[in-house]
Amino acid sequence: MAGIINATPVADPQQYKNVFVFLETREDKLLRPALEMIGVGKTIANKVNEKLYCIILGSDLKDMADEAVSYGCDVVLGAESPDLKTFRTMPYSHIVSNFVKSEKPNIFLIPATRNGRDLASRIAVSCQAGVTADCTEIDIETDTRILLANRPTYGESMLAEILCKRHRPQMATARPGIFPIPEKLKSPKGEIRINKVKIDKSLLKKEILEFRKKEAIDLTAAKVIVAGGMGLGKPEGFKMLGDLSNEIGGVIGATRPTADMGWITRDHQVGQTGQTVRPRFYLAAGISGKIQHIMGMKNSETILSINNDPQAEIFKYSDYVIVDDVYKVVPALLEEIRKYKKEHVGIAVENRESS
Amino acid sequence: MAVEIIVMVKQVPDSQEVVIDPVTMNLNRSMTRNVTNRADENALEAALSIKDKIGANVTVISMGPPQAETTMIECLARGADRAILVSDRFFGGADTYPTGLTLAATISKIGKYDIIIAGEESSDSSTGHVGPGVAEFLDIDQITYASNVDYEDGYVIGERELEDGTEVVKVPTPVLVTVLLNSNDPRRQTLRRKIDAIRKGFEVWNIEKVGLPPEWVGVRGSPTIVRRMRSIKEKERAGKKYDLTNLGELVKELYEKKVLKMEEE
Repeated sequence: MAGIINATPVADPQQYKNVFVFLETREDKLLRPALEMIGVGKTIANKVNEKLYCIILGSDLKDMADEAVSYGCDVVLGAESPDLKTFRTMPYSHIVSNFVKSEKPNIFLIPATRNGRDLASRIAVSCQAGVTADCTEIDIETDTRILLANRPTYGESMLAEILCKRHRPQMATARPGIFPIPEKLKSPKGEIRINKVKIDKSLLKKEILEFRKKEAIDLTAAKVIVAGGMGLGKPEGFKMLGDLSNEIGGVIGATRPTADMGWITRDHQVGQTGQTVRPRFYLAAGISGKIQHIMGMKNSETILSINNDPQAEIFKYSDYVIVDDVYKVVPALLEEIRKYKKEHVGIAVENRESS
Repeated sequence: MAVEIIVMVKQVPDSQEVVIDPVTMNLNRSMTRNVTNRADENALEAALSIKDKIGANVTVISMGPPQAETTMIECLARGADRAILVSDRFFGGADTYPTGLTLAATISKIGKYDIIIAGEESSDSSTGHVGPGVAEFLDIDQITYASNVDYEDGYVIGERELEDGTEVVKVPTPVLVTVLLNSNDPRRQTLRRKIDAIRKGFEVWNIEKVGLPPEWVGVRGSPTIVRRMRSIKEKERAGKKYDLTNLGELVKELYEKKVLKMEEE
């Protein structure tokens, strides 16, 4: 029990060592944000020659622990129980807090997913730690081992650098889709410590009646995204974009208003209330460029925008700009792509065979 | 005995007209219109719906400066039974830790509660940490990111919207719930209720009433500090123009620069 206690600074930050990350799971499988945490956590740990500890909870941890080690985790701290198969606030926060209190990490990173934030808020209180939410840049000052937690603020126009000088651990949640997944190691080495635990009944009062899985499209893994906005004017516009997307191996993205209108399902939504994406190629058709959408796609490598309004905000974020009607441009572009592919298909095959 | 519901709300600057002080890099609150955080309006509506169904008492609490009185009156005018503004200069500059502490101490002082409801996050800080922080201070369970909340015989049933699906959970009271922005349609204030609200008024609790030492709250009780703010630097992009007459060149460039590939892996 936390009780009403103040945030007392720790006596000696030097006693706090290493970087902890929490790995989020579903059905005893690591989620993509878990791998992102290993990446950013390892980068931070390497800078100060410390170890990366990964916390995993679930009912069967062996495969997940091996996977974490293969991505660079030095020590897996696991708690295993049938009661931990699905995330629940009370048992999870209780166990994770105990790990933190006994191991004393200097830094603790948690994905800023919904369950991640649910958990991080509780850990911060029970461990009397400072936590910075939804970071998009995370670094460490090597001499002081102070975490530099940066989060967007004021409608994503500014970046606030937030420090926690006198409290440990220094906690942050990291926005999903921002930090790259690390390469798998050729010869991974890591220590795996899995504890079988028994959970006190008082922590298991929340009953999960049902989980209705969304058939979600993972836009965060897409290399090519063809996205549409209200400038399409009608739901049929997405069919046209679908033809183009199929031709270039992409997936469909969308702005929130088009999803609100029911032109396309929510799982295609890119932006503040949708997914944050960073594909190699992002084509924005009929998208004006409201900040809520921009923040979800501006880290794409190459952006091409088509809009009939020459003042469209999206053009400021674009490598290529076409000011014209999407219904003229998209079919013409599709035709040019087919033509190019037809002319070059033989050459592509040759190149592949020779390489 | 009636079910006791506490709703936590916050007054925030209207996100449409935010002004940053160029020297301190803080929000210039004097130049910005203040409104009730929209997700908190959804929280109040969720509480009032339960009240409609089973006849609960709904108390609204808020930590904030004196001008948050407009939010308190508004909540009463929508149908809350009691409103408490927790306001003292010592509470200023708080990060999520002392904010949660102050609200939890207020709730402990109120005494009886079955359900605590808050918005998923505030539009000005967007952490979503205060609600669950209060639950941790009070050592009660929580249902975060709920799109739907219902009460039945000592249990709260909530639908949590996660990234990959909807989780339906049932938790015995006392429990804290955070509800999603736009998860319901908040009822309007009526003129009649507004007049009643102004007549009835709201309570203001200072630090002595809440019962916390000054060094535990506000900026002094905050583990985190904002060291600096900077404009987000955007990647420079060329914005190279093409039109219907030279799309062939554009396509060639995209393939040659390997932005597009003949076959996606």
